[in-house]
Amino acid sequence: MTTTTAEATATRIRATSPWQLALRRLLHHRSGLVGGGIILFLIFVAIFAPVLAPYDPNAVLIDVEPGIQRRQKPCIHLLGCPPDQPQHIMGIDGNFRDVFSRVIYGTRVSLFIGFTTVSVAIVAGTILGAVAGYVGGWVDNLIMRFMDVLLAFPSLLLAIAIVTFLGRGLQNALLAIAIVSTPVYARVVRASVLSIKEREYVQAARALGASHLLILTKHILPNALPPLIVQATLGIATAILDAAALSFLGLGAQPPLAEWGSMLGEERNQVFTAPHLVFFPGLAIMITVLAFNLLGDALRDALDPRLHQR
Amino acid sequence: MRRLVWVLFFAITLSVGLAACKKATPETPAPTEAPAAEEPAATEAPAAEAEGFQPLVVTDESCKTSKIKAIEALDEYTVRFTLCKPDPAFLAKIAFQPFFIRPQEWIEANANEANREILLTQPVGTGPYKLEKWYRGDKIVFKRFEDYWGEPAKTETLVFRWAKEGAQRLLELQAGTADYITKVSPDDFETVKNDPNLVLLPVKNPNVFYIAFINTVKPFDDVRVRKAIAMGIDRERIVKNYYPEGSEVADFFTPCVIENGCVGEPWYSFDPEAANALLDEAGFPKNEEGVRFETKIYYRDVFRVYLPEPGKVAVEIQNQLWENLGIKAEVIVMESGEFIKKSTAGELDGLYLLGWGADYLHVTNFLDFHFSKKNPQWGNPYPEIYEPLEKAATIANPEEARPYYEQANNAIRELVPMIPVAHGAAADAARADVKNAKAAVLGPPELWTFEPAGRDTLVYLKAAEPISLYCADETDGESLDACKMVTEGLYQYTADGEMVPRLAEKCEVNEDATVIICYLRKGVKFHDGTTLDANDVVRTFDAALNAASPYHVGNTGAFAYPEYFFGLMNSEE
Repeated sequence: MTTTTAEATATRIRATSPWQLALRRLLHHRSGLVGGGIILFLIFVAIFAPVLAPYDPNAVLIDVEPGIQRRQKPCIHLLGCPPDQPQHIMGIDGNFRDVFSRVIYGTRVSLFIGFTTVSVAIVAGTILGAVAGYVGGWVDNLIMRFMDVLLAFPSLLLAIAIVTFLGRGLQNALLAIAIVSTPVYARVVRASVLSIKEREYVQAARALGASHLLILTKHILPNALPPLIVQATLGIATAILDAAALSFLGLGAQPPLAEWGSMLGEERNQVFTAPHLVFFPGLAIMITVLAFNLLGDALRDALDPRLHQR
Repeated sequence: MRRLVWVLFFAITLSVGLAACKKATPETPAPTEAPAAEEPAATEAPAAEAEGFQPLVVTDESCKTSKIKAIEALDEYTVRFTLCKPDPAFLAKIAFQPFFIRPQEWIEANANEANREILLTQPVGTGPYKLEKWYRGDKIVFKRFEDYWGEPAKTETLVFRWAKEGAQRLLELQAGTADYITKVSPDDFETVKNDPNLVLLPVKNPNVFYIAFINTVKPFDDVRVRKAIAMGIDRERIVKNYYPEGSEVADFFTPCVIENGCVGEPWYSFDPEAANALLDEAGFPKNEEGVRFETKIYYRDVFRVYLPEPGKVAVEIQNQLWENLGIKAEVIVMESGEFIKKSTAGELDGLYLLGWGADYLHVTNFLDFHFSKKNPQWGNPYPEIYEPLEKAATIANPEEARPYYEQANNAIRELVPMIPVAHGAAADAARADVKNAKAAVLGPPELWTFEPAGRDTLVYLKAAEPISLYCADETDGESLDACKMVTEGLYQYTADGEMVPRLAEKCEVNEDATVIICYLRKGVKFHDGTTLDANDVVRTFDAALNAASPYHVGNTGAFAYPEYFFGLMNSEE
């Protein structure tokens, strides 16, 4: 009887671990679910782009489809477009390419940009923030003042400056966005490390003779994860927006790569004559950024117990 | 007292005598006003002195920096140009706005630092319109010149305005706040055509869009590679899909509308098989991924009639290079100034997309400028091209020059320094009720012939504001357009591109095109009331071309067109 009660208690404790609690809260967060659902859908689209896209995103359809019109309006058979006319549900762009296929492939590029830049920024920011927070003193001062300098510039302006220096192209744009994103993560991690390193269990580990690296990686950083996850989710949205802005300006993705920002930039003069060419890539950017923001907000609610208690 | 009377008597007699002497030359114009010491190269010619007229002469005997040796007023209505070497395009060049005539007195009064603002903003000419006021940043208002020597302007007031965006210009035309707009966006052609209140006016400005190679950059140092790309690009597909109606595939660098422009063998037809064979032969086989080599395509994102959508055409060429030839190209858009600087200096390490629009209607404006020995834009110059051009440039008779142009065109085809792709068409638009509205081949339309129904003001809308109204030292189209309303040349182009005498009744060119004598129209009045004479012509050319003249003052001081067309006289080398 005693054993059974102890097991039940243990089960109850396991069931209410912080991560499980957070997941439970997240699953009850309606807008978070919508955001997560959209992101899962986007990931699905990105993975299966070759299957979902009816055309190669870079295929010029001049000699492929007779009678094709440049900057042709969307043709959807279900909505009354003549059946003898090939279906292009988002129309044709200025280079006779299928916009729908380009938007689909653009999902790959945008998600890749979001995840890659945030991953690089998290790694760099975590290392810098953890070292600054844990070591303290002049090291902390040196690192964080440098981060403050980076934060003093508007992120997009700094990214433009970095790309101008490194040269245009998607790779350099990714690097620029990662660099301008790093200070935020460094600050978040440092703040967490500063508070966690004074906890009893960290002092206990130190008293037991654990190395600094072990303390940092096993006892401090895992507990600094929740705010980092929230920041990362919101950061993906910002990174996608920044990358689209750089590509719009011709500094990021280069032709013929299908990227939403560059699609907008290439056809910006057609906003009155062929609005569909800017509407669909713009819509894709909006939905993606909204989804990551919804999920980020939900994660913040779910992972921050104090906020939850309030 | 008697002494005082005698003194007064002598003083009065002397005054009357002096007054009588002065009265003997009452209409003498101003050439003597400036001291001779300040005019080393523009002097009076005493031998040819006529009653009341002291003719001016400008000379540069050295012929080191200029093609012009002397400009002389032979009498009140005759001007002689003596050239250092033959220039068959002389009259075609002086029919361009930088050489339009201003009054001698006005130049002498205003071509200096103190009155520079007047020089640049308050033009005086013989044109059908005279300037009323330039409202900086807003508009320029011109009024009909009632004493015009020819048929007066049909509309009393002409207003020049500007709007950068094509969409805005069209909106203004549709709204009725403009009567004529330039450079309709190709995407709006249909909109204009379908609007019964508007009329689309095609512009047949001779131009060429080309894909250029630099022969000092690998692999374009191999003529087989250049030739392969020339055969592997489907130019017809580019023109058909990316150019407005009326554009043509270019078979020669020079458009056929220009005499001797398209003589010789026409360009290669599209033949990807032969192109691939040439690339194999040149040592560029395809690798496992189907790539022969990688290169770059440079361009600037600026609308031009010869290349209305540079970004789209760059991507199309990128696509064709890959699809047809297995050449991977990176598309690089550059800032306009940087692009022009690097491309014309031959400093780009790939292909580049550029073009040319005619300044004057002569083959030298296309071929001699681009393929001369001095032009580094293709890398090392091609003697096979520039040698026949140099010979042709010394022959006045177009028929006699023809074999040399044929030879040059064939050499261009054989050596492929570039691929001529298109002669672009453009269009202006006007309100349908504007009578006589017609676009011109070169420069602005003849707005003085336009009649907007029931309105006494004609509003002309361009893309930008003029920089100044002293066109000897300007190169922007907006300034040149405004100058054509106010000033006139010895010769001028009609709306159809025909070169006709304007302020000259005629010009006679000697057999080897080294001496040109122009006879001026009589009774032509300037807006300031003075009468046109030969000294006005000499002083105008002196101010534009003579670097040693005290009147060689302008907006930038570059005098780009005079320098490019003839070279500056008495300039330091």
